[in-house]
Amino acid sequence: MKIARAALTIWLIAFPAWLPAQMLNPELLLKPPTNAWPTYNGDYSGRRFSTLAQIDQSNIKNLNLAWIYRANPGETPGAKVGGEGPAPLPGQSAGNPFGVSIKATPLMVNGVLYFTTPDNTWAVDARTGSELWHYFWRTRGGIHIGNRGVGMYGNWLYFETPDNYLVSLDAKTGKERWHKEIADVKQEYFSTPAPIVVGNHVIVGTGGDSLDVPGFLEAHDPETGDLQWKWWSEPLKKGDEGSESWPDENSMRHGGGMTWIPGTYDPELKLYYIGTGNPNPVMAGQSRRGDDLYTCSIVALDIETGKLKWYFQTSPHDTHDWDAAQTPVLFDGEIDGKPRKLLAQANRNGYFFVLDRVTGKNLVSHPFLETMNWSKGVDANGRPIPNEAKEPQVPGVLVSPPSGGATNWPPPSFDPETGLFYVGTSASYSVFYLTDTDPHPEGYGATERSSGGLGNTLRAIDYKTGKTVWRHDFPGGGTAGLLTTAGHLLFAGDGSQHLVAFDPANGKILWHCGLGGNVANGPETYMLDGKQYLVVGAGDSLYAFTLAR
Amino acid sequence: MMPTLSAAATFMKRGDKSHSTPGKRDTIPTEPLRRDALIDFGKLPRVALLLLYGAGCLAWPQTPAAPPPNKPPKGFAGAGGDYKEYDPATLERGKRTYTANCAFCHGGNAKGGESGPDLLRSITVLHDENGELIGKVVLNGRPDKGMPKFNFTPEQIADISAFLHDGVRAAAERSTYKILNVLVGDAKAGEVYFNGAGGCTSCHSVTGDLAHIGAKYDALNLQQKIVMPREGRQVDKATAVTATVTLPSGETVSGILHHMDDFSITLIDAQGDYRSFSRDGEVPKIELHDPMKGHTELLKQYTDADIHNLTAYLVTLK
Repeated sequence: MKIARAALTIWLIAFPAWLPAQMLNPELLLKPPTNAWPTYNGDYSGRRFSTLAQIDQSNIKNLNLAWIYRANPGETPGAKVGGEGPAPLPGQSAGNPFGVSIKATPLMVNGVLYFTTPDNTWAVDARTGSELWHYFWRTRGGIHIGNRGVGMYGNWLYFETPDNYLVSLDAKTGKERWHKEIADVKQEYFSTPAPIVVGNHVIVGTGGDSLDVPGFLEAHDPETGDLQWKWWSEPLKKGDEGSESWPDENSMRHGGGMTWIPGTYDPELKLYYIGTGNPNPVMAGQSRRGDDLYTCSIVALDIETGKLKWYFQTSPHDTHDWDAAQTPVLFDGEIDGKPRKLLAQANRNGYFFVLDRVTGKNLVSHPFLETMNWSKGVDANGRPIPNEAKEPQVPGVLVSPPSGGATNWPPPSFDPETGLFYVGTSASYSVFYLTDTDPHPEGYGATERSSGGLGNTLRAIDYKTGKTVWRHDFPGGGTAGLLTTAGHLLFAGDGSQHLVAFDPANGKILWHCGLGGNVANGPETYMLDGKQYLVVGAGDSLYAFTLAR
Repeated sequence: MMPTLSAAATFMKRGDKSHSTPGKRDTIPTEPLRRDALIDFGKLPRVALLLLYGAGCLAWPQTPAAPPPNKPPKGFAGAGGDYKEYDPATLERGKRTYTANCAFCHGGNAKGGESGPDLLRSITVLHDENGELIGKVVLNGRPDKGMPKFNFTPEQIADISAFLHDGVRAAAERSTYKILNVLVGDAKAGEVYFNGAGGCTSCHSVTGDLAHIGAKYDALNLQQKIVMPREGRQVDKATAVTATVTLPSGETVSGILHHMDDFSITLIDAQGDYRSFSRDGEVPKIELHDPMKGHTELLKQYTDADIHNLTAYLVTLK
């Protein structure tokens, strides 16, 4: 990175005037954002902590709506159209059964917001909420459940489609530069992540659980879209490292391990961190006895080669759909009096983990969900020990959490000022029924019936112990993504259509605002013209707030 | 691997807002429904209701009581959305032809056999539409791999194609999975639990409210009612959460809880009227009563055997 930085500095000195207005300066990706939000999590760390403090506890009562932008997806008049699919039927593009929900965290670069919903990308003026352009992708299919947003390199934008294309657009105009197919929609792959740009790598992952296909992560060239490296979530053949955790080659080549959440990155270690998906068949484990590496794992990959540096498996031989696709958050801290480079994750299976991100060594494993009942504790390496009796059974077994998890993809936040890790959690049970007793089940192989929700909670977790320091139980609904700021504020959705600001030290509610839908993404903040903006996606709209003057 | 919690709620949200006038109702949605989903179920035609519940299946596999709402556009609905439906006669013919000619190598269920690969995970099959790709392989064989040619008619190839695609659909479309058998418990032990440790008799009686319950519901539905008596989005007055709001003036308002968050509470009062109150910390005072609390508490205590035994016992109450 030093060389890259030096090269960049020279380049900037030599050609300062060449920096077009909309271009992303790569330096922004290496430090916490203030006048930009240049990557999915704001910076590479995944902390979603902003150093901005114009909006603070003393003045938040004056936080006012600045603008609303309502997204109108589909082949709208004036939209730039691409894609390999047929022209949509009237109403089809916006009418998928999941509705329109902005799950993307918009990038904000040089005064423009860039964000997505499945098949759609927009550029919107970050000061006014006016649309600059809209790009629509004619799809060939795939699950249209959500899209996390775009990645940016210079003037170029990148996003993934439900039918598994990596599409690059010109940020100025929304004009397509190229598209590359990264996975086969006919095998039920579908793609939702926001690409993460590191140096000259565009990192893309994919998803798909219906037909037992293997997961992978890829790096693409930002100029040409060509493949640079590909990391498979499972060993490719018997004898490869990790293959001893599968009974045979067939099971590992159909073993899942999707890469559907954007990862985080340490520029000094040059390691990319991502939590992998669950093994396949999803809930019937009889054909894949063993730990099923590297599914349900936090993995560290060399950014230049995609080679696995270390892994930590969060759910060995998972049979409940508890992928590890929750943001691995990077920060430095002290454990047992020693300063360490850390990685923390609140996992879908109900455990909070802290690892040494240099080596992958486990430092903390602590359950944060009181109802969690599937584990017999952790082994000497901090790895949960599953209780086999809680694998799906023909007559049903009662398990907490359900497949939806103790938490899920919505981004958590780490506030270095409080030292607390914030995450939205859900306490529920389901009865899991094994439906496919064949020695070689396919697909999910089991089903679940909900036993009801016991409530959703915003938690502040002490990273040193994994213990919940304070909690706020939401009387109705749950949380989405979170943001903390140096203004001593924690922003969260409450699942009842409010954006709420909490005191991150104790969970006291300081401010709230009713929106036209539930907060669907992680809130973000940036500075423009000396004004701090807070932007959040709720339902089909973006809402921007600033302080009243 | 994808999050599943929000789909039903998102769909509900798209409910026709012209129906959002609050009013009298016999049954109301449970509290996780959001304000924008305030649909007057009483005014919706029954079919629409079924469709709404069907939408819930997208999120949480429930009893497959209703067909999915307006079959989603091809390719958009997620797993299963892209799969054709074949008539049973075609599938039967395809199965016969397959069994007689292909099963020997590819296995009776097409998941692979002694010498032939799994056809349900075959890229050729997944890319085939109506037999055009499968036909090429079948008519030419794969001599290098020891597969002979088969002189099938175009109709036979289309039938085999349908049979295989339906097998793929059956694996991918998890809403169609069938629960096999829940009746494995010991009815005697279930009776002991019912009358003892389960504490069931504090609310229920097998000669009262549960008389003949085994004749009303099958074992699977009984088991589901034990662990989640409020299944679905509708509740009757007997199982609804009720709330009493005491205003600073001392006035109290009681009713069925419709929604509560940190900033407001809404009730349906005894007259069927919608009542809404702002909340500011502890004001107004709110008392909630959940008649299903016993079931919720049991979730933390049950062993799986307790549940299976209870089911086995209740089934005997014909």
